[in-house]
Amino acid sequence: MSSTTVQPDFFSFLGLPRKLKIDAPDLEQRYRALSRQFHPDYFYNAPAAERRASLERSSYLNDAYRALKNPVARIEYLLKLELDGQGAGRAEPGPGGANAAPPPGLLEQVFALNEELDEIRDARAGGAAADEWKPRLERARQPIEAKQREHESKLEALSAQWDAAVDANAPESERREILSALRERFLERNYINNLLAGIERELNV
Amino acid sequence: MSKVVGIDLGTTNSLVAYVKDGVPIVIRDASGDALVPSVVSVAPEGTAFVGREAQRRLLTDPQRTAYSVKRFMGRGREDVREEASHFPFRLAGDDQGVVRIGLGDREFTPPEISAFVLRELKRRAEEHFAAHGEVDNEVDRAVITVPAYFNDAQRTATRDAGRIAGLEVLRIVNEPTAASLAYGLDKRHTGIIAVYDLGGGTFDISILRVEDGVFQVLATNGDTHLGGDDIDAQLVQGFLDDFEQNGLIVHVDGRYDPQTVQVMRKAVIEAKHDLSEHEAAEVVIPDFAVIDGRIQSAPGQQYRPIFTRAGFEELIAPIVERTLGPCRQALADAGLEPSDVDEVVLVGGSTRIPYVRRKVEELFGRTPHSELNPDEVVALGAAVQADILVTGNRDMLLLDVTPLSLGIETMGGVTSKIILRNSTIPATGSEMFTTGVDNQTAVDIHVLQGERELVADNRSLARFKLRGIPPMPAGLPRVQLTFQIDANGILSVTARELRTDVEQAIEVRPSYGLTDEEVERMLLESFEHAEADFAARQLIEAKNEAEAVIKATEKSLRSPEFAEIEKTELTPEERKKIDAVLAGLKMVLNSSDRETIQKWTHALNDATQHLAEVMMNRSVRAALAGKSIEEM
Repeated sequence: MSSTTVQPDFFSFLGLPRKLKIDAPDLEQRYRALSRQFHPDYFYNAPAAERRASLERSSYLNDAYRALKNPVARIEYLLKLELDGQGAGRAEPGPGGANAAPPPGLLEQVFALNEELDEIRDARAGGAAADEWKPRLERARQPIEAKQREHESKLEALSAQWDAAVDANAPESERREILSALRERFLERNYINNLLAGIERELNV
Repeated sequence: MSKVVGIDLGTTNSLVAYVKDGVPIVIRDASGDALVPSVVSVAPEGTAFVGREAQRRLLTDPQRTAYSVKRFMGRGREDVREEASHFPFRLAGDDQGVVRIGLGDREFTPPEISAFVLRELKRRAEEHFAAHGEVDNEVDRAVITVPAYFNDAQRTATRDAGRIAGLEVLRIVNEPTAASLAYGLDKRHTGIIAVYDLGGGTFDISILRVEDGVFQVLATNGDTHLGGDDIDAQLVQGFLDDFEQNGLIVHVDGRYDPQTVQVMRKAVIEAKHDLSEHEAAEVVIPDFAVIDGRIQSAPGQQYRPIFTRAGFEELIAPIVERTLGPCRQALADAGLEPSDVDEVVLVGGSTRIPYVRRKVEELFGRTPHSELNPDEVVALGAAVQADILVTGNRDMLLLDVTPLSLGIETMGGVTSKIILRNSTIPATGSEMFTTGVDNQTAVDIHVLQGERELVADNRSLARFKLRGIPPMPAGLPRVQLTFQIDANGILSVTARELRTDVEQAIEVRPSYGLTDEEVERMLLESFEHAEADFAARQLIEAKNEAEAVIKATEKSLRSPEFAEIEKTELTPEERKKIDAVLAGLKMVLNSSDRETIQKWTHALNDATQHLAEVMMNRSVRAALAGKSIEEM
């Protein structure tokens, strides 16, 4: 859509409350129903303005569906919508890339892991066989994976908390608090996933 | 109202279909043949031949005959350098530009060659409508299918081909998705469908979910350079190597002799088809034979090596294996296991190969659907989609995806993705730009498609120059670039400077495509040639008819009973007349005067009328007496 139009956010576009628990079959059904409304297939004979509107609306619908269908993308979108006030449009790739500074809660694990990875790389450069360094890598992965599980369940709990706050029409301050906690966990989670992806790459060298 | 059709523009064959009273129907010629070979031959004086006639010319005039042109759509000269030696026609064009196909002293872009095929299909459909008493026979709009894994340049080239052929392309539809529409699986099922499409030149796998009549593609993958052509090339290569080892000359001017290659290609394709029905097949290569244990040139004889199905399967196993990786990737992208798939649909001629069917069945653990002709199912689906577009019927809806991620070049030659692969289309993405220098008024943008990290590993789609940025200190302008992929899977870009809210001008320079002006010019040229092409086709038809009458007459004259018939039933004048008219028709046959050929053909028909009646009466009598007609 052109940048001058004010967009409804993805949740209201699909007729959903701004909550993190979404019933998948319900979302699918809403998506199909709206697709039948907007899809360019049905506007082939329409005036140019309607054709354009159909293209813009169905693009926006597809973006909304994509962002809300996936639980992780959904959290990311909600955070952006609530905290940055820029919910309309594409969900930007989340922060917490490989080069970002490690979140404070993870410093210890990251430090230990990097040391281990350096040693393993040295060993490999020195001609160590795969069955020597691979088990070390696997062992190094375990504490990170434990952290990942911990974060997933924390994210789940916070999501439920947010939904309850929406239902109870909780005051702004309480909502902000939940969102900040969600954001912190979310960034850590992204960081952990990058670490795990890094280990996976090393394993496949 | 003029007519709308669905067209499957294939690597090997093309066909056209339409919807009549809610049912999709493939349009056939008088002999019931639906397939138009995607072959175009251009004679020295400039006449173009399309389809079966062009296919025949592959053997007599290979250097002026183009086939498998779909492989070159939307490609650059550099992309095709390696495979150039496999084709009898010349591949030309600038190093950095779109590939051109040289036929004789003329050069054509792949969309121009494809436009010849599209015009033939358009003509065929118009003839069909005229023959069926339709009020308005003109076909001016079409849905054309492409492999799901086609990138933006390949889709755009296909749309350009349609425009050059004088067709408004209502929609570019993915072949596997079209096939699922044709199967009408929505009426019977809610579930997951896998469409495995192995055609002449391309491979696609698409995973769809069907519910409430909505066909939603979850993921697609494939290889736009993998198909029956590769099987043929491998078989041909085997024979070329054999011939070379036997001391036969297969090279001319540093490349394989086009004529030899085409003769072998025809032979291995026929054997390949036979092997789908039988356990063994002969590869019949004319004018060669094994003499003294060696393959040697032997005019009039045939070299007929036996090819077993087991040997064939061993040879094609690596090619089929290459289709399984994309299948697994598509399933993974859809978040599914093979066992989640409820229905498997086979599309494309190469899925007739029993080994391919077995492998697909093994992977998905399901017997694939093959009720519909795998050659025709895509055109049927295209017709269904065309019907949806013009009638606005909302019973069925197709939601497809973009097969490849779209991105732009950022610092250090890295690709920054803006729209991810398997995003449902239409889709949008945007990116913010600013300037690096004070008062800078333009920014260069490089658009790419592909999954790789580095720019060099992805497909360059286009370069844009964003102009007209208001002069401001560096970093102050905020230019929002919006990428829109439409329902055809084709990209358009708009830009807006947010501080001034001014829409920016963009100059598009497609990396491997034609500009609008070029397409326009080619369309005009095709009108100039249209009349010549029509005349040429009429001439071919007249010649074909003449040849058929000559052949029948000579067969009668050679038959063992002719001597007796001549004595008892023909007058000497009749006999003399037959000889004279036969000689006369043969004389005019090679002229390009259609009317004269037709006149002499009629004359020969008249002259042999009595003879034909006598022959027929005798054969009826013989049949009654218990002799077969062959014995006559």
